[in-house]
Amino acid sequence: MKKFWSLFFFFWPVVAIWSCWIAPARGWWFATEAMSPLGERIDGLFYLILGIVTVVFIGTQFALGYALWQSAVKGEDQKAQFSHGSHSLELIWTVVPSFVLVFIALYQMDVWAEFRVQSFYPNQTQEDGPQLEFMARQFEWRVRYPEPGTELQNQPQPGDLYAVNEMHVVTGRPVKFNLRTDDVQHAFFAPELRVKQDAVAGLIIPVWFEIPKAGEYAVVCAELCGWGHYKMRATIVAESQAKVDEYLSNLQSEQNFDGVVTVDDEDE
Amino acid sequence: MLVQMNRHIATLIVATLVVSMGGCGDALNSSFVYSEQTQALMPQAQKGFPVKGDVKALPGARQLLDDRFGNPQSLNAWSKLPIDFGGVTGTVVAIPDTKTLILNFDAEVPVQTDEPLKLQFVTGPAAAIVVQIDKLSEAWTASLSGNLETLIKAHNDNNQGEEPRSIPVAGDVVVIDGGGVLQHGRGLYMRHCSHCHGTSGDGNGPTAQYLVPRPRDYRHGVFKFTSTNDLSKVSRDDIHRVITNGIPGTYMPSFVPMLNEQNRHAVVEYVRFLAMRGEFERKIAVELSSDFSKEALGSRLEAGDSKEDVIDNLRDFLAVDMTDSLEFVSDDLASKWTTADTDDAVITPDVSRIADTPESRRIGRELYLSKAINCAACHGIAGKGNGPQTTIYEKNTVTGELYDTPGLHDVWDNVNQPRNLTRGIYRGGRRPVDLFRRIHAGIKGSRMPSFKILQHEQIWHIVNYVLSIPFEPMPGHASGVAAPAEATPAATDAAAAASVVE
Amino acid sequence: MATVSPAIESHSDDHAHGHDHHEIGFIKKYVFSTDHKIIGIQFLITTLIMLMAGGALALAVRWQLAFPWQTMPIVGKLFAGEGGQISPEFYTMLFTMHASVMIFLVIIPILAGAFGNFLIPLQIGADDMAFPALNMLSYWFMWPAIFFFFGSFVVGGVTAGPAAGWTSYPLLSALMAAAPGSGTAQTYWLLGLTFVGVSSMMGSINYMTTIINMRAPGMTLFRMPLTIWSMFITAILQAFALPVLTAAGFMLLADRTMGTCFFIPAGIIVNNAAPTVGGGQPLLWQHLFWFYSHPAVYIMLLPAMGMVSDMLACMSRKPLFGYKPMVYAIAAIAGLGFIVWGHHMFTSGMNPALGMTFMTSTMMIALPSAIKTFNWIGTIWDGNVRFNAVMLNCAGFVAMFIVGGLSGIFMAAVPVDIYFHDTYFIVAHFHYVLFGSTLFGVFAAITFWFPKMFGRMMNDTVAKWHFALSFIGFNAAFFPMHLLGIAGMPRRYADPYLHPYLEHLLPMNQFITFSAILMGVAQLLLLGNFAYSIFFGEKCGRNPWGANGLEWSAPSPPGHGNFDVPPVCYRGPYEYSSPEAEALGQDFILQTEPPPDMTTTENVKSIETTA
Repeated sequence: MKKFWSLFFFFWPVVAIWSCWIAPARGWWFATEAMSPLGERIDGLFYLILGIVTVVFIGTQFALGYALWQSAVKGEDQKAQFSHGSHSLELIWTVVPSFVLVFIALYQMDVWAEFRVQSFYPNQTQEDGPQLEFMARQFEWRVRYPEPGTELQNQPQPGDLYAVNEMHVVTGRPVKFNLRTDDVQHAFFAPELRVKQDAVAGLIIPVWFEIPKAGEYAVVCAELCGWGHYKMRATIVAESQAKVDEYLSNLQSEQNFDGVVTVDDEDE
Repeated sequence: MLVQMNRHIATLIVATLVVSMGGCGDALNSSFVYSEQTQALMPQAQKGFPVKGDVKALPGARQLLDDRFGNPQSLNAWSKLPIDFGGVTGTVVAIPDTKTLILNFDAEVPVQTDEPLKLQFVTGPAAAIVVQIDKLSEAWTASLSGNLETLIKAHNDNNQGEEPRSIPVAGDVVVIDGGGVLQHGRGLYMRHCSHCHGTSGDGNGPTAQYLVPRPRDYRHGVFKFTSTNDLSKVSRDDIHRVITNGIPGTYMPSFVPMLNEQNRHAVVEYVRFLAMRGEFERKIAVELSSDFSKEALGSRLEAGDSKEDVIDNLRDFLAVDMTDSLEFVSDDLASKWTTADTDDAVITPDVSRIADTPESRRIGRELYLSKAINCAACHGIAGKGNGPQTTIYEKNTVTGELYDTPGLHDVWDNVNQPRNLTRGIYRGGRRPVDLFRRIHAGIKGSRMPSFKILQHEQIWHIVNYVLSIPFEPMPGHASGVAAPAEATPAATDAAAAASVVE
Repeated sequence: MATVSPAIESHSDDHAHGHDHHEIGFIKKYVFSTDHKIIGIQFLITTLIMLMAGGALALAVRWQLAFPWQTMPIVGKLFAGEGGQISPEFYTMLFTMHASVMIFLVIIPILAGAFGNFLIPLQIGADDMAFPALNMLSYWFMWPAIFFFFGSFVVGGVTAGPAAGWTSYPLLSALMAAAPGSGTAQTYWLLGLTFVGVSSMMGSINYMTTIINMRAPGMTLFRMPLTIWSMFITAILQAFALPVLTAAGFMLLADRTMGTCFFIPAGIIVNNAAPTVGGGQPLLWQHLFWFYSHPAVYIMLLPAMGMVSDMLACMSRKPLFGYKPMVYAIAAIAGLGFIVWGHHMFTSGMNPALGMTFMTSTMMIALPSAIKTFNWIGTIWDGNVRFNAVMLNCAGFVAMFIVGGLSGIFMAAVPVDIYFHDTYFIVAHFHYVLFGSTLFGVFAAITFWFPKMFGRMMNDTVAKWHFALSFIGFNAAFFPMHLLGIAGMPRRYADPYLHPYLEHLLPMNQFITFSAILMGVAQLLLLGNFAYSIFFGEKCGRNPWGANGLEWSAPSPPGHGNFDVPPVCYRGPYEYSSPEAEALGQDFILQTEPPPDMTTTENVKSIETTA
């Protein structure tokens, strides 16, 4: 039985590693590759940590398994080694991990700064200003665009355009928007873009991302906001400037619709 | 298609759809609940009378309802109702053997589906028999999963009292995938909607008790935010729009992108199904309740009638009067819901929106405050939804008693706060036409009345004013003025001008 | 001090009145007892019951994730949801209460309350706690907490409960209308939390005082077993962190009931209630809450670390590898634990520059954890391991702690945490730490100290089966959650499959649920073994494991006052297989065993003069 239990502790990390190994092929992994440049760098950091962690995981688990195995194969009369520890070993396994950990910490700083510290945001976002307001509420996302040709104000303006659960942004350039909440705390989470930011009552938080490829990207809520938390699904539609303009102008005419249908304006 | 179905199944009131269990979002043992009115009927009126000697069985309110609508596990599609139950009708062309049918359809049929297709005979000797199709070729030759003879024999054995069925003949009408839409809508409804709106659409799901305002109880057949005129029911487009956009200011969220177009259509049909079911139930209960409610029974017993007399009366009523009533009720139901989807029902302004000028807003505000229209009575002089009417004690229009709580009550007996117009949240939509329709038709079921007596230009002025309220620098600066008709215009000018400058 | 059985005495005195005239009546002896051992056992049994309750709540959560909106078997009919559904708000209540029960009524009290109480006086050679009555109160303050926690589930209907998560972030927790159904319930929850806090605080003060003042002669600080060190440091952590939570709790309570606005900004309209008047800041709660709750993670872990260190050394028959570094590591974890709270808030909108600081401090706290892990493996290395249930659970602890520790690094790295925050990766991480580590440590500790508590052994075979099934069930349930997190599945979703990118995860969630059920069923083995062994387990002597600690020199179970004679400590706790022991012909040497060249009185004198 001793050998069995030692093997038991050898066996489970093998299963764990195996399940991670087969995971990507079975869809138990990132839904897609990162669809934004910053997301790609975050993925890079993830894989770096994953590499380090895997080495440590294998090393420690097998050391544990081996240490048990030693005893399992020993004879009954074998004595344990009488030792209170080793100063040099202690030193090694204190200093080496601390270097690794400090390295990991320092290596992450600039990505974080670029993601969240406003003075490090891409210049483009500073020049363009926020493109839209993304307002979370129980349990949907309300979008407010400024009237085409004007800048977004924090307070609603008469010409503002409204949409729900759908954000249209331009591809290929950093886009900044104001994240807000109408009630409790929510979190904007775009898994494909690797962007997450809480929306906090009373704060207007500028968030930016860049999507090189046109397409539709999911947005979900990542902070418990009540019973309908799981329902808060929205879409980011990334498309060319022309299409965004067209979308906004359609939105504008739809929003000003007065019910009097002319022949080519079939709405109802 | 539906019209055609109606014609063919005149003999068959109800086409039962065989609805499979499981599927996404099915609560396995959910059931429709009977309304309070139904439950207030005396037990015999609810349950009816079984077969007694040579007297036929007399269905009570519950069975009348269930026969026509079924329960969530096995929905019935009452073809009289203007609902897209789903399915394609066709005819039998030939029957080469008892396991094969050659068919012809009016429209495209989904040849390949996830679940096996079901085919139901609507007319002819095999009417009401349901068969399962193993394979449907492109040329509409259907291989059945069972032998027709065996199926029919089994059916006849199970339904001893009825006219025995036999092998169908060429020319019989069939419907394939019958009820597919309704069934799909049911699954989606149970997953997305039922925890607020309830399995029966009574607006009383488990989550409902916490919500302000309460989720809609469909069973009145009344929906608040419609594009139709004040006398019409809600149109499909209206329900569709609410599901698409949500209702801002309430817990009704937008279901895009969660439900795609096809899914939303299915949910709309299922919601209409529940609404019609509820309305039918109400009307049946109303027919019976004047004489055969528990309360009526009590007072008749007090008056000296014996219980047997009342029961005999009920028997007569169910046997004779009920038939007429049913026909009237169902005709009325079908025609009203059909009309709602016609263009005539939709409110279309005679004139385009009046330009949104300070002058227009001034007129709008005058109208808003005027004695005749008196928006301010409820919405308040400043538009904050706190007019003097919000503090009165109202009479319940049904029972005639005073409500316990002050404020304006809707037909669902909930207190309604008139809209606070300063917040810029418009539940029925923020397009000018939406506001126009709100004013023209009122908000159905609520105390917001129809102002269709107004000229359309006048309504536009009010719309312009209302849309400007959130942007007034000093909303309600005229408040406290008892008769603000003279005092207002100047002040409104200033306000309107200010908001335009901005 | 000689122990005389009070039962025998009273029987001889007074036959007629039976038990009423015992020296200590039944009520006083077993219910309102001031004896630390009884209180410890009371805590243990209470928390084991709570463990089952919390587990049942978890299974309900798992049911919904595996079979969304399907009627739950057996208990489904009790739910308010039509057709026995778990309605979405009920789901939020389920996971809120699962976490609350597990953290506040299981993990914290089972470590500090049960084992802290039972072991501290025994291991330092004291006859009881410094404040026995306070000790009793600390147990009895658990009951109002339990009452309020479970009461919160009952007030206002079957499905009303606190629904803001165990973290109770405002505004969801602050506004009555925001988390439907949690009106009174959230208030009850806060009261429950306060009572748990009071109970813990009483314990903390008691442990600190006892450990500082009541050590036996010769029990110097660096002769204390790591269990005592960890309990000591945990008590300090608790004493400093808890007031912050208590204050925050009262602020939230005031926000809810008295109209203050500590956490509520102005003009928020929720559920069409009147607009808030405001001026507050929701982030304040997060800072205060995590200022307690991050140290609380260590409160929930350090005692287990200490106990496992003791047990590993005993079961490997080998001195603990690096005793002093282990002590310093615990101290370092506790110290750093106070400056890492912000890593729960990387995406919260706090000043992003703080994110960098917290990332660095969080990375640093991984260091002492790493040292401890290496030392544990070093302890087993070249030992003479006894493969019993205690050892297996300890090894399980180490194996699981490695996973929990390593997965923490992903979250410590801020950019990566942007993605992983509030996904199932986090759920996997903290279950590896709190269940994988702490509970396996607790299972080991129950088996290890059971003979001391009841004078009987637990059945080793059943305990091994319990370990194996728990371990397999646990890993099968929680390891895949890392993958769910990587796939981007957010926490606290009643129906994740509404989102197309999560739809394909349903089979995996079903697998997890089945594994969780296996794990849940396995706990019945523990309960059964525990209950059976109290009455029918194999009887044992004072030191069945051949361990060194002072507690093993006391009778099993120890009588009132614990020791036959006041013990004197002559050496460190981990002198297994030492030459001194071998000289006695055994591989252990009790801390009370006087060195052969010294008589008892001499030694006491020398200690007293040096101390």
